[in-house]
Amino acid sequence: MRTSTPSFSDILKNPIAAIIILLAISLSFLFLPPKISNHIKMTCVVPMRPLQWATCFCSNSANNFLDKVFSGWRNAHVKKQLEEQVSQFKNKILEQQDTIYKLQSKLYTLSKFQAENKSKTKPVPADIIGYDSLTFRKSITVNAGSNHGVKPNDIVVSNNALIGKVVSVSGGSCVVQLITDPASRIPGRVLQTREQVIVEGNATGFCQLKYVPRWAKLKKGDDIVSSDIGGFYPPSLPIATVVETEVKGGDLFQSVKVLPKVNLSKIEQVLVITK
Amino acid sequence: MRWFTFFCILLGVSLFQSTLMNWINIGSAAPDLYFPLVIFYSFLADIKRNTITNWFVGMSKDLFSEGSFGVNSVFFVAMGFFVWSIRGILFRGHLVTQVLVTFIFSCIYNILYAVHTTLSFHSLSLSATIWTIFICSLYTAMIVPVLFWIFSKLQPTQQFFHQ
Repeated sequence: MRTSTPSFSDILKNPIAAIIILLAISLSFLFLPPKISNHIKMTCVVPMRPLQWATCFCSNSANNFLDKVFSGWRNAHVKKQLEEQVSQFKNKILEQQDTIYKLQSKLYTLSKFQAENKSKTKPVPADIIGYDSLTFRKSITVNAGSNHGVKPNDIVVSNNALIGKVVSVSGGSCVVQLITDPASRIPGRVLQTREQVIVEGNATGFCQLKYVPRWAKLKKGDDIVSSDIGGFYPPSLPIATVVETEVKGGDLFQSVKVLPKVNLSKIEQVLVITK
Repeated sequence: MRWFTFFCILLGVSLFQSTLMNWINIGSAAPDLYFPLVIFYSFLADIKRNTITNWFVGMSKDLFSEGSFGVNSVFFVAMGFFVWSIRGILFRGHLVTQVLVTFIFSCIYNILYAVHTTLSFHSLSLSATIWTIFICSLYTAMIVPVLFWIFSKLQPTQQFFHQ
C-alpha cells in the first residue's frame, strides 16, 4: 500500500504544525547574533519610520500648543512676581558682566586650541520619532542614521547630559538605548567625592549605582558624571543626581538611587555625538 | 476574518504604542495595546488563525522594541494558545471576563518577560518590577472595553461571541 507524502500546504493546514513552524521561526530569530537581528529589525521597520516621524511631529505640535495655552493662562498669575525678579536679575547681570569678560579670554584660548587640534567628534541634531513598546526596555528611535554619519556605540546627549548610546543604525534612523534601560551600564564618578561607580538602568524612571562602597559618603543632591574608564564614554558628562542612599545590614555595597539629569520622557530633540 | 483589517489594526496599534504613549501614560503605568489584541483574537478566531495573528502581533512588538528579537512572538503565541484552550469554559462575550482574562494573562506575560530580562541583565529590582507589572497589567485591563469595542467595530465579532 502506497502513502503519499504530505505537501507543505497540507502541513500548514494542521494547527499544531503551524504553531510548531511559527515557534521555530521565532526561536531561530532568538538565537541569531544581535548584529544580524538588529539589522533585520532596522530593515523591516524602515517603511514605518516616516509614519512614526509624522505621528510624533503631530503629537509634539499638539503638545506644544496645549502647553502654550495653559502657560498663557498661568502666566497672568505669575507676571507680577516675574517683573520683580527681572529687576533683581538686571542688577545681577551687571555684576556678572565683569566675570564674563575675564572668562571670554579663557574661552578664546580654548577655542583656538580645539580648532588647532581638530576635534574628532561631531554632534548631529536629531528628533525623537519613536519610543520602545516594551515595559521593561527603555529605548528611543531618532531620525539620524548612517546617512548622517551615525554609527553603533555613538553617544547621545540632551541638554549637555548623557542620555544613552546608539545600538542599531539604519540609513535614516537609529535606536538609542537610554541610560534607564536594564542593559545599560555606564562608568561614572561622583563629582563631589570622586568615588567610581557604575550607573545601571532598571527600567524605571530612575537608575541605580552599583559598587558604591559602604563607607562612601554620598548624600542627596550629589552629581554623577561620566568617567573615561574604558575609553567608551567621554569624561565629565553629567548623568544623574543622587536622590536616595541606603546601607542595608550585611551588604558590601550601598544601594543608591539616582535620577537622570534629563527628564527622559519629555525630551523631543537629542544630539548624537559621532566619532 | 479579514486579514487586511487585521494588518491595519496592527499597524495602528504599533504606531500608537511607539509614538503616542506619552499622552496616555499615568506616571510609570503604561498600557500594552498589543496584549488586548492577542486576547481579542484568542477569543475570536480558530486555533490556526489565532496562532498566526498572535505571531504577527508578537513580531510587530519585537520590531518596535529593543531586546531579543522573537521573544514576544513566542510569548504571545503561548499566551494565545492557553487563552484559546480555556475559552470554552469562559463566558467570553462578557466584559468582566474580557477584563479579568486580560489582567491575569498580562500579569503572566509581564512576569515571564521580567524573568527573561532579569536573566539577561540582573538589574531589575524586585519591588519596582512587581509594582510595574501590577500597574501596567491593571491599566492594560482597564482599557480593554474601549479597545475591544474598537476592534469589534473594525472586525465584527458578534457571531463568535454569541456562539
